[in-house]
Amino acid sequence: MGRYTLRRLLQLIPVLIGTTFIIHFLVWQLPADPFDGRCGQRPCSEAFIARMNEQFHLDEPFYVQYFIFLGKMLTGDFGVSFNQVPVINLIEDAYPNTLKLALVALTIEAVIGVGAGVMTGLKRGGFLDNLVLVSSLFLMALPIVVVAFFMKYLFWAQLGWIEPNVSTEVRWSELIVPGFVLATTSMAFIARLMRANIAENSSADFVKTAKAKGLGSGRVVGVHLLRNSLIPVVTFIGLDLGNLMAGAIVTEGIFNINGVGLTIFRALSLQDATIVVPLATMLVLVYLFMNLLVDLLYGLLDPRIRYE
Amino acid sequence: MAEVAHQADVTEVGYQAGPLLEVDNLHVEFPTRDGIARAVNGVSYSLEQGKTLAVLGESGSGKSVTAQVIMGILDEPGHVSAGEVRFQGRNLLTMSEKERRPLRGNKIAMIFQDALSSLNPVFTVGWQIAEMFRVHQGLTRREAKQKAIEMMDRVRLPAAKNRYNDYPHQFSGGMRQRIMIAMAIALGPDVLIADEPTTALDVTVQAQIMGLLHDLQRESNMGLILITHDLGVVADVADDIAVMYAGRIVEHAPVHDIYRAPAHPYTKGLIESIPRVDLKGQELHAIKGLPPNLLRMPSGCAFHPRCPYRTDQCMTDTPPLYDVGGTRHSACHHWTEVIDDAR
Repeated sequence: MGRYTLRRLLQLIPVLIGTTFIIHFLVWQLPADPFDGRCGQRPCSEAFIARMNEQFHLDEPFYVQYFIFLGKMLTGDFGVSFNQVPVINLIEDAYPNTLKLALVALTIEAVIGVGAGVMTGLKRGGFLDNLVLVSSLFLMALPIVVVAFFMKYLFWAQLGWIEPNVSTEVRWSELIVPGFVLATTSMAFIARLMRANIAENSSADFVKTAKAKGLGSGRVVGVHLLRNSLIPVVTFIGLDLGNLMAGAIVTEGIFNINGVGLTIFRALSLQDATIVVPLATMLVLVYLFMNLLVDLLYGLLDPRIRYE
Repeated sequence: MAEVAHQADVTEVGYQAGPLLEVDNLHVEFPTRDGIARAVNGVSYSLEQGKTLAVLGESGSGKSVTAQVIMGILDEPGHVSAGEVRFQGRNLLTMSEKERRPLRGNKIAMIFQDALSSLNPVFTVGWQIAEMFRVHQGLTRREAKQKAIEMMDRVRLPAAKNRYNDYPHQFSGGMRQRIMIAMAIALGPDVLIADEPTTALDVTVQAQIMGLLHDLQRESNMGLILITHDLGVVADVADDIAVMYAGRIVEHAPVHDIYRAPAHPYTKGLIESIPRVDLKGQELHAIKGLPPNLLRMPSGCAFHPRCPYRTDQCMTDTPPLYDVGGTRHSACHHWTEVIDDAR
């Protein structure tokens, strides 16, 4: 397991170099003048442009810029934005909010998804089963923008239970509706995945054995059936956490939550590559680590899988 | 030890001599889209303490379904449409689930054909055996572990203590079946049902497992129902044989009588299809045709389309279980002919 982890960590190096190169290349190649509109209504002065060129190496060739960026990242220096704000400050402001939103969404999708999956998997063909099957298909087909606007319309405009925007303190209670919006697609997917697993495993021989052992139905389902059926779901949830931690541009935008998704979106529209590139790099890193974690977790959950 | 405990139970329920387990005129149906599949059609057999009953039949003959009814683990949509299953005189089928669960695994236990899929892949084998003691006897983890290791020793699992924390996939097929057996006999059941316990194993391992079952049965005086499709397996261990065909018992007799002179054409066909060294080089005997579709059962005797003794009577009249003498029974109109041919 130790050797496997080490090998996986070493594999991260080329992946990380490759992805940062692509991100760096794409963002800096955007056909736009970084000084466009940066100095109000007037064009920027020669002196300002010269100073910016000097500070951000804008007149160096592309690959030189990349190696300068890489060198700084290796020392943990995220640099400053065109507005001279340290990028690390932006991350420190945004990341806790994204993390909170991700946790709320994850809890909602795991609890409702697994619960609905177990109930429908055990009683297939009933009313609840059809309800869950149809509504999950509906939720998966619906774009998240629609879900978000509908929820906002219902809970703010009609019921008045929530404020239109999440406050700057980002309280947990304020995140329930945005978290639900963010969770919908995965929730529907988990419900279907769990239903299929429960349905398949409930006719498995080991469930028959558990019944023949004289165990109560609670123990047969809650211990023997659930443990086996949860393995693929836990894997999915782990990978989804990687996605959620990369921020949610739409949800954060609609509910005005200052998270990484919205920060990246703002930086992109301001053409500020100095923010986009380090932030995107960090998200890639987080995703890769989550991926590794899920693979290791899989080995713990299913004893038949061993890493050499 | 187990015997003493058993006798205490006997006096408790005021139950005296008589069969330990009786299946009485059992009917099981499976509703399907194309009609009702009658998997079991009036099966009766009984099991005495310390005896082995072999239930013989091919796939779909209803032998496993009958066992699942005895255990109470029949899958939906299968259901019992008529008949009784009596354990120590009490009808199991009219009991509530609450009354019945303490018997399951505790008084009546079962082992299955494929131990790899029958053991839970994500729990250690020790944990799975110990679960019996924890759930039924309320023992602590430590006590249950101790008992589980004793059971693993009892089924002659080498280095039991070191293997407590291993998972099912880390064992060989024979060892896995030993673990299934350890789990089934953990609480000293009165009845053990073994559903094709050796089918998935190598021939040499088959003999070891059958030997183990036989020894364990004699040590604790349990009744054993051995379900199999392999006549070779049962000869040494069984006392009685019930041969099933299309959901009915076609012949029921002591093991030696059946081998000496079968009284039903189907049994005769089964015995003749065992390869014999002295007939080497000759074509192996086979029963022609296929088992009937349970949705479209033949009229009269279900075996008549494949039967060399067939007459017009067989196509219209369902044969009853004729008394063949002694404790033997055969469901064939022409049993005298069959038995004479065999002699």
